[in-house]
Amino acid sequence: MAYQENEKGFVETMKKFTIVMLILIGIYLALPILATALYAFSTEWNKTILPEGLTFEWIRTLFQDTRFVEAFGRSVLLSGGAVFISILFIVPAIFVIVLYFPALEKWFQASVVMVYAFPGIILSVGIIRFYSGTSLPMILAVTGVYVISVLPFMYQGTRNSLRNVQGRQLMDAAELLGASKMDAFRKVLLPSVYPGLFVSSLLSFSVLFGEFVLINLVVGSRFETAQIYLMTKLSTSGHIASAIVFVYIVLMGILTLVMATVMKKAKGMRRT
Amino acid sequence: MSNVVLKDVHKQYQDTHVLSGIDMNIEDGEFVTLLGPSGCGKSTILRILSGLTDATGGNVMIDGKDMKKVPPKNRQVGMVFQSYALFPNMTVYENVAFGLKMRKEPAKEVAEQVEKMINLVGLQEKKEAYPHELSGGQQQRVALARSLVVRPKVLLLDEPLSALDAQIRKHLQVELRTIQRELKMTMILVTHDQEEAMTVSDRIFVMNQGGIAQEGTPSEIYTQPKTEFVANFIGRYNVFSKEQLGKLIGKNAVVSADKYAIRPESIHLQPQPSAYKLHAIAGDSIMNGNVIRTIFHADNKQFTTEQLHHQASAFEKGVEYPLFVASEDVIALS
Ligand SMILES: Nc1ncnc2c1ncn2[C@@H]1O[C@H](COP(=O)(O)OP(=O)(O)OP(=O)(O)O)[C@@H](O)[C@H]1O
Ligand SMILES: [Mg+2]
Repeated sequence: MAYQENEKGFVETMKKFTIVMLILIGIYLALPILATALYAFSTEWNKTILPEGLTFEWIRTLFQDTRFVEAFGRSVLLSGGAVFISILFIVPAIFVIVLYFPALEKWFQASVVMVYAFPGIILSVGIIRFYSGTSLPMILAVTGVYVISVLPFMYQGTRNSLRNVQGRQLMDAAELLGASKMDAFRKVLLPSVYPGLFVSSLLSFSVLFGEFVLINLVVGSRFETAQIYLMTKLSTSGHIASAIVFVYIVLMGILTLVMATVMKKAKGMRRT
Repeated sequence: MSNVVLKDVHKQYQDTHVLSGIDMNIEDGEFVTLLGPSGCGKSTILRILSGLTDATGGNVMIDGKDMKKVPPKNRQVGMVFQSYALFPNMTVYENVAFGLKMRKEPAKEVAEQVEKMINLVGLQEKKEAYPHELSGGQQQRVALARSLVVRPKVLLLDEPLSALDAQIRKHLQVELRTIQRELKMTMILVTHDQEEAMTVSDRIFVMNQGGIAQEGTPSEIYTQPKTEFVANFIGRYNVFSKEQLGKLIGKNAVVSADKYAIRPESIHLQPQPSAYKLHAIAGDSIMNGNVIRTIFHADNKQFTTEQLHHQASAFEKGVEYPLFVASEDVIALS
């Protein structure tokens, strides 16, 4: 009895401790974001605790700057393109290996570790050295690296979904009911793993969207992305830079929300 | 409605032999069971029959036609998987309709057949539900309906009832048997539950380590096990070595074989005409439903007896009793 009460007390304490830690971490992370967001909407904020006035001026200026809109578009194009290529070429390979050649999965796992192990800066040097002499446009070289660097997300997301729905058995069952492999894939497997695939894609997209080191070193101002644009603005206008960060946060917020919704929906579909 | 023949079927993964020379001959409209311990190759046989896995050697024939070059989708073999493998993105109705749609049946025909089948398995109310909204037993019925609606020549069932609790399982066993009789479909059921095999099948193939240990009707398998493995797996047989049994009932009673099996319920306390007599000391007794099971000790061997509760004069622990066993109940094993 006494032991159990002790146990309970300990769990309670741990719970309180966890909550306090989470709140502290939350404040630590949220404050700069809030401050940045506020700065993006403030007229003047130098000597006072709170800004002297609020304005949409900075956001408006930002969206009127074609350089920003273009940079933003490039970011979307680059990240989206890389994810799209990955879905088109890498994901089918993941499907085939996970479903029919599970023995080969260890190679995928090895490549996943390698992607984590090589920092962007080392990759950049390698790419500049190797491809700058060839006729391959550097932006394509970067796209290639992007496609590969989202492999961990795509692989893990796809594999977990396939395992969750027991993909191989779904394929087998569909085939025995008279479906061709193509039909089984399109009508059964893809819709079943679609939520997981979708979330992986969004995650990959947001990771690539925030990438700065590689693109800056290898291509730099020749292909100005939102991140590079942000870097240049940082030294000229704090308000504009904050406005960019604000837009970025809003975009990521939307992506996160969409991911959470899809995952929640997918939970129901999973076998219990 | 088809006969299925396996001829010397082998399966090998790298160096491990999973199946070694399987011969089976299953009649039109027969309900057979593959019974065996985990890992003995039951699922592998079903996968080879359905074409999902290729055999390393041997032939599979359905209706006299060799299946080697026929892909799974054209074999007209249905399968209910152990974990059902329902399509999570489709409702009950869509799951059941899938096979007919793949066969490009006219929409009206599809609707009619699907309704009929959903009624047959008693899921009218759950037509629009998704698999995750169903209980285990209901999911099992959907899986069954989905396979039945396309009228396969042969239906394979891979331990479809093992995940269910005893009561539902008993109920579905009966239902399965009824449906099978009604549709006169050839069915092959895999199970490692000997009671299930006894209840539902016309014929049982007992498997052990990638081979068939014995085949026969449930009563043949139960009353005449051929090997020690079958005797142990099928019932709670007492297995004796030649020496052990010789000591108990006399040397000239045991000549033909090295091992003998005696069912617990054929050892009696009452004298029987032309029965062997033996003496043993009663040990613990256990009640099991309406049956009393008693452990007896004799020399270097212990064995169990079973008696119906109402006719049992309870054995007193530590007392020596004379026991009787009819000569035809002493089964020689090979
Ligand atoms: N893809 C594979 N690669 C290697 N070995 C395999 C493979 N599939 C099955 N086996 C082996 O074949 C043997 C038989 O497997 P199978 O699934 O047929 O057993 P089972 O009788 O259905 O068992 P259970 O009752 O546990 O389902 C097992 O020892 C298993 O390890
Ligand atoms: Mg199995």
